[in-house]
Amino acid sequence: MDDWGKLLAAANSGDGRAYARFLRTITPVLRGVVRAKGSALGEAGCEDVLQEVLLAVHLKRHTWEVGAPVRPWLYAITRYKVVDAFRTRGRSIDLPIEEFADDLAAEAGPDPTEAADMAKMIGMLDGRSAKIVQMIGMDGASTAETGQALRMSEGAVRVALHRALKALAVLRERHVK
Amino acid sequence: MKTDDLIRALAADTQAEPPPPRLILIGLIPALAIAVALVWVTFGFRDDLLQSFGNPWSVMRFVLTGTLGLIGVRLALVLARPEGRGLGLLWPFAAVAAVALGLLVWAYLATPAEGRQMALLGKTLVTCLVAIPVLSILPVTAILVALRKGATTTPALAGFVAGLGGSGFGAMAYSVHCVEDSPLFYVTWYGLAMVGVTLVSTLIGARFLRW
Repeated sequence: MDDWGKLLAAANSGDGRAYARFLRTITPVLRGVVRAKGSALGEAGCEDVLQEVLLAVHLKRHTWEVGAPVRPWLYAITRYKVVDAFRTRGRSIDLPIEEFADDLAAEAGPDPTEAADMAKMIGMLDGRSAKIVQMIGMDGASTAETGQALRMSEGAVRVALHRALKALAVLRERHVK
Repeated sequence: MKTDDLIRALAADTQAEPPPPRLILIGLIPALAIAVALVWVTFGFRDDLLQSFGNPWSVMRFVLTGTLGLIGVRLALVLARPEGRGLGLLWPFAAVAAVALGLLVWAYLATPAEGRQMALLGKTLVTCLVAIPVLSILPVTAILVALRKGATTTPALAGFVAGLGGSGFGAMAYSVHCVEDSPLFYVTWYGLAMVGVTLVSTLIGARFLRW
């Protein structure tokens, strides 16, 4: 199993730190793919699409089979979501398999681009879910700290966070169409 | 929102969904049990069910429909993963269809000319064409729901697989009641009922399995 496989296997068995490393490792590669294809969308637009892809990878990570190569799996999700994202923005895109190469990797740049769409979706969540996503994502709070601030148990925060992320994907679908 | 912020939120979510194989089993086993129970309650099992297992033509009904069901499950598991795609995956279905057609031809030749029309039309044609789609609803739904929680990148194809596999199970459940043992009857009419279910399921899949 390669490095990505080890990280994702650990992630799927509940290791949040390995999972964060996995996501940070794949992000530049996915960003490269999106930018190579979507220069017309501009950097912020590409970052929107990238975040959609990351959310999809997150919500579908249980469909990766331990031991299977990660890249074909990851690329299939990326391709599906990128094509979808471009279609909903009124463009068609041709994304052949060969173009998924690590050497496309692109860093966000010195001033990480702020993407607008996800913030909009978070604004459409119910107040408590939005607060949870915001505290953990933007403010860097742990689930325990978030629970204390919102008078919830840590377990309840985890459940609510999971639901909120699923809801974001659904909102995304509806919002764009 | 910055991508780093999103990653932090994603990484904090350690709630995992069950993998596709477990999802299919959880849904399909009760679906099959209910379908068989439904046949038992509404129609009753055929009186000579045990003896019918001695008749190869009758047994082939269970073999063909059950095989379609199992192939459907197997392919649904492949298609539940994003990298699973391609029409070439469908060859096992084509192989079963070829065997069924072979059986149809064989039965045609083996049945005396004056008995063919009776064997083809049987006595329970309407019941068969209504019962099989109804009995297929739960198995097809179980497979579609599992696929929806998976990540298929070919929604229509996945709907097709769920339809053919699920209606295979539906037809198998109906077989414990049905006394029409001639392949002239069951290949034709079971086949027609299953094609109908599969068409509907393909259309549902194309919409419902997108993510």
